[in-house]
Amino acid sequence: MEYGTQATGGRVDPLPERDILDGFDRLIAANRLFGAELNPTVIKKSGKGAPFLLRPHPSRSRMLALWRDLFANRIPPQGLLDALSPEVLGLTHGDRLLLFGNDRILYDCHIARGEEAVGHLTLCFYREREPVFRFLPYPRRPGRRIVYIEGISLSAQSTGYASSLFRYYERLFHDLGFHRFRLKASLSVGKYYWAKEGFDCEDRKQYAVMRENLHALVLRLGLPVEDQEIRRLNHASMIASFRRDLAVPVYRNAEGYYAVARDDSYTEEVRFPLGKAFLLCSAPWDGFKVIYTGTPRRTGLVWSDRFLDHRTRQGHKESPRRLESLLAAIREDGMAESLIFLEPYIPGMPLLHAVHDPAYLEAFREAAARGDRQFAVRDCSISAGSYAAALLAAGGVMAGIDAVFSDRADNVFCAVRPPGHHAGRASAMGFCFVNNVAAGARYARSAYGVGRVYILDWDVHHGNGTQALFDEDPLTFFCSLHEHPSFCYPGTGRRLEKGAGAGKGTTLNIPLAPHAGDREMIEAFEREVAPSIEAFRPELILLSAGFDAHRDDPIAEIECTEDAYVHMTRRVLELADRHCEGRVVSVLEGGYRLESLVSSAIAHIRTLQGKEVPPCSSARG
Amino acid sequence: MFVGPRMKRNLVTITTGATLEEAARLLKAHRIHHLPVVGEGGRLEGILSDTDLRNATLEGTIGGPDGGDSGRSVTAGEIMTRDVVTLCPGDTLDDAMLVLTHERIGALPVVEGERLVGIVTKADVLSALVSSLDIGGIGARIEVVLPRDAKEVARLAGALGDLRAEVRSLVLAPHGADEYAAFVRVATIDVGSLKGRLREAGFRVPEIAEFLG
Repeated sequence: MEYGTQATGGRVDPLPERDILDGFDRLIAANRLFGAELNPTVIKKSGKGAPFLLRPHPSRSRMLALWRDLFANRIPPQGLLDALSPEVLGLTHGDRLLLFGNDRILYDCHIARGEEAVGHLTLCFYREREPVFRFLPYPRRPGRRIVYIEGISLSAQSTGYASSLFRYYERLFHDLGFHRFRLKASLSVGKYYWAKEGFDCEDRKQYAVMRENLHALVLRLGLPVEDQEIRRLNHASMIASFRRDLAVPVYRNAEGYYAVARDDSYTEEVRFPLGKAFLLCSAPWDGFKVIYTGTPRRTGLVWSDRFLDHRTRQGHKESPRRLESLLAAIREDGMAESLIFLEPYIPGMPLLHAVHDPAYLEAFREAAARGDRQFAVRDCSISAGSYAAALLAAGGVMAGIDAVFSDRADNVFCAVRPPGHHAGRASAMGFCFVNNVAAGARYARSAYGVGRVYILDWDVHHGNGTQALFDEDPLTFFCSLHEHPSFCYPGTGRRLEKGAGAGKGTTLNIPLAPHAGDREMIEAFEREVAPSIEAFRPELILLSAGFDAHRDDPIAEIECTEDAYVHMTRRVLELADRHCEGRVVSVLEGGYRLESLVSSAIAHIRTLQGKEVPPCSSARG
Repeated sequence: MFVGPRMKRNLVTITTGATLEEAARLLKAHRIHHLPVVGEGGRLEGILSDTDLRNATLEGTIGGPDGGDSGRSVTAGEIMTRDVVTLCPGDTLDDAMLVLTHERIGALPVVEGERLVGIVTKADVLSALVSSLDIGGIGARIEVVLPRDAKEVARLAGALGDLRAEVRSLVLAPHGADEYAAFVRVATIDVGSLKGRLREAGFRVPEIAEFLG
């Protein structure tokens, strides 16, 4: 690229400090570099085309420090200006300025076609400070570098200019070491278009209101839409493409605005698909879209603090602290920046009855409502919130599946609890109540018409519940890596269990001897799991990702490290790329030592994002 | 455990006059290895195993199209084992296991007087073992080494009760000259905690590594 003077094969080496300082001098002389009075969060111009509140440029040492912090001296000031203003679709940038705020650098310009100004653009380069407090030891990450696009306006709409420019910027900011850029749009019209382009409501409350309004509209028009279908919408883009099969009448006024009801001004009837019609008539909302420049894959994270409402007895291994620690670590690590948060939902009962006996679920609901302290067996300790949390966990997997099939995410990690893989059609055991992965697999089939689903279960315990549910199902391949059943709970999952009836051959159990480590685990994966995925050619891969085979986990005797999880994750992604467009939904199962659970899950999530994770074995002896 | 409830009562039998082709067909059709040979009134005359058939073939007792005693079929009665070790329904499975092991045979007819009433095979004994140890059921096994003293066994049972462990089976085996090895099958995922508590209570709970040698 041409923006760095010393670019070598995509990497830009640091420039001598003198070159940067000379660059400042030249820009000041050309009247293109200023200091600015800034509201730290809102950047405002005093009027259209008017300059920012300017003041003399700050001291050279301040400028240099800020520059180094943001660009690591990899690009000279003039180089930055040139890189930010490519000519795209015949439009160029004029009146380019660099402004130095207290903690950020702004780029401001007019967009022009020839001599005619057609819009303006403001970028803000910012570095997020790292929180000071950290309680768990894992690799430190530098603060996130973020580019905000606060204001882009064009008098000519739909030219494709913005999209082309953003694609160029995505690459540029990635090369400059920025982690993401965030586009903000205040949208009074064209809400349908923006939602379709992946903009979401900035305010989650506003989003909830939108969903309610959609529900009300469906009721008013008496449309054949189930509550369940609306409940699972968790992004504006999903609303935009909602129920394309249903045409709904809306009314246009002379100015081109739409309303759901006809009145004096809104007279012209037109029919649109339900989601589009609804968005065209909805109230204005502020939208944002985040583009991740530092991760090759968009990874979703399903999480809700309602999972913590499943409270187990004192001293119980499957405690809410497991998820609390994981979430705290994700936030502290700055990872939350690059993850797409997905909200789980309570699934409709028919979806759960595809997996569990109605009477069994009802007994569970009653036990929790009654205030019972355990359900079915002593391992299954419960509290009043357990039933709702268990349903929500299954709905979390469904939300993950929605995300990969609606293309909101390439892959998803569901940080859910209680876990599910021991739960059978009518049995709770081993900390499990509702079989989350199994419910997800059935949902993928009914909602998206997925044929072949491959479930890989690398929890240290055999996933007996999942196996039993799909024993005779030739379209669902169940593969489990676990400690040998002669030594470990639940005592099932021997090699001879290979499926039954039509499903014979679509169950693969690989027991590992006690004290097996990374080498044995990875060998088993390469020797048996990978070829079975290749042969099965799945359309979706689900992972029952327990992290209790870690050597620090007290519950069993397998001695893996993060390396095995990273290896298996990377290989699963490769296989998923080959067979199912990278669609992987990973679901948390076990993992009971907080430190190893957190470090393993984070290594797993990073790998899902396509990031490099340094090996840990050598460092830890 | 007595033989009566565990033995197979639906019997596939033949008579002494049956041909060997008939016998071979029955063995194959029912996927079994032993055919009790019965006479009048269900009287046990002998037992014909697939080994007997094989030996007869190899020794040339059964003629091919161009050899042996052509024209005459060999009967079950001629090659069956007459000297049969039998059990009666009141014998125990221990008896069955000991006889099967010592005599190195595969099946034991069960008789009341001289009348055949059932059969016990190695497979029956194995499945009795599997179900009595609950090997196929949900649970995990832990090993506890105890001094050879019944009071210690009682103390272990008491401790398991105090810990509210869901015990599926418990087997006590001699371990060296002055110890027991107790194999406890428990239905809990949190085996580690249970082992820890037992160790706190003063029991010797070896790591799996010690057993792997």
